[in-house]
Amino acid sequence: MRAFLAGARIQLRFFRAYPDGLIPFFTAPMFSIIFQMIFRHAGRRDLTAYAAIAPVFIALWWLALFNSGWTITTERWNGTIEMLVAAPSSFATVIFGRITTTTLVGVVSFGETWGVARLIFGTKVSIHHVWPFVATVVVTLAAMAGTAVAMASLFVLARNATTFSNSASFPFYVLGGILVPVSVLPHWIRPLSSAVFLSWSADLLRAALRPTAMHEFAFRLGMVALLGACGLAIGVWSMRVILVRVRASGELGTT
Amino acid sequence: MVDARDSRPRPSVRRVGDNLRNVISNARVAWYAIVSGANDYWAIFTLKSWIFGWCVRMISQVSFFALIGKLLRSDAQTQFLLIGNAVVIAAAASTFAMFMTTSERGNGTLSLLLASPSRPVVVFAARGVYVMADGVFSSLLGLFILGPAFGLHFPFPRVLLVIPLTLLVGASAYCFSTFLAGVILRYREITGLVVNATIVTLMALCGVNVPVSFYPTWLEWISRCLPITNGLEAIRDVIDGAAWSTIAAHTGAELLVASVWLSLALTTFGIFMRAGQRDGSLEYAS
Repeated sequence: MRAFLAGARIQLRFFRAYPDGLIPFFTAPMFSIIFQMIFRHAGRRDLTAYAAIAPVFIALWWLALFNSGWTITTERWNGTIEMLVAAPSSFATVIFGRITTTTLVGVVSFGETWGVARLIFGTKVSIHHVWPFVATVVVTLAAMAGTAVAMASLFVLARNATTFSNSASFPFYVLGGILVPVSVLPHWIRPLSSAVFLSWSADLLRAALRPTAMHEFAFRLGMVALLGACGLAIGVWSMRVILVRVRASGELGTT
Repeated sequence: MVDARDSRPRPSVRRVGDNLRNVISNARVAWYAIVSGANDYWAIFTLKSWIFGWCVRMISQVSFFALIGKLLRSDAQTQFLLIGNAVVIAAAASTFAMFMTTSERGNGTLSLLLASPSRPVVVFAARGVYVMADGVFSSLLGLFILGPAFGLHFPFPRVLLVIPLTLLVGASAYCFSTFLAGVILRYREITGLVVNATIVTLMALCGVNVPVSFYPTWLEWISRCLPITNGLEAIRDVIDGAAWSTIAAHTGAELLVASVWLSLALTTFGIFMRAGQRDGSLEYAS
């Protein structure tokens, strides 16, 4: 637990030292404004829930991709990874502490996005199914952290990690149906969307903001948890592979 | 006549041809900066990663917004969003060029640049031209690939005008971005923040996703002073078959806006740089 908290503390300090990590907190409200404007201009105030949810996913995904995803790589660039691996506390726990903190900080974007919608457009976002909403947010954050662990590990192995993180935003926003539901996408793309946990959680969160009954809640929430757990499993497995490989080759800080 | 062996300082005398020599020397410096920028760019992207990374992202970004039109079940909205978000790719890439200019500090080459007899602003203004060109190309690619896929019809041959107009939008955003690069030169740690916030702000304020007439009047005026807005309207006019006079008016306005931002960039860059030199905030390798 102490190692986890140490990771969390150092991540908070990183936010203070490197303001670039706060980018989504500037862009999420702007995306909220853009989406609200589009729906208002089209006279579709009934789609407020869509505009309220999408910027939050954009912020959370950005944090997973650029902050959490680069956690291990920045430790190497800073020359601290050798000490971290040699320390008696678990390397994975420290990394998970950093990633969890980043993901939790992302929750701020809910308040920002909805606050901007209220302040500028007078739009009130109502949660009609409070407990399903809370449960979906918690499981979504866990899935996001799990996926981020996978990214953090794979980015060390992948030679094109920079290109991937720069390119993996909008393709996942489309596949994940964060604004436009998967049902609007072409048929051939829908199976791919089902494999992205964002599509399940975005659907659930939108449903929680609508007064109509939520169907198959447990199954859909289970899918978010399952896909997030798959991400975590891939992340933990590749982290082990990386550590074994670089310890054996003596290239911990240089590969 | 001045004796060549005389070691006393000579008065500064302007000679015939000095201006031409300056132009040639600035052009040479600009060319080297462009080549250097292009090499930086291709160190990041290979052709494969450009196609499967950048291109896929760009196509997805335009589709993401065009699909909102599908959600609204409106062809007009779909096409409006598609055109706006395809063109904004050119401006976004031009804004990314800010990274190229501030990277001089990260690379530790700024001190050499300051010590050289050439004007640093020439280097900074030319360093990211390649990114802008790539952005314009990507933008046109997105427009012409996704347009037909979303039911947009391009009137030929007038649609060819979209090419120089997109270039104008990219150049205009690039001038704006060069101005901002000067402003944030001393604060390299926030470059990413400024770049991303600028792109999303331009997407919100420049008539990309809703017509400019949707904004309150005061905001509409601000919007018209920003890059993209007028040029994008000219592009929409070309595709919608508007009168030539309307297209010319919007094009002229975009040219004016670009010139003003370029002038601002050229006049303020030196001021920002000298201020940084004076207070020591231009650390050379951060």
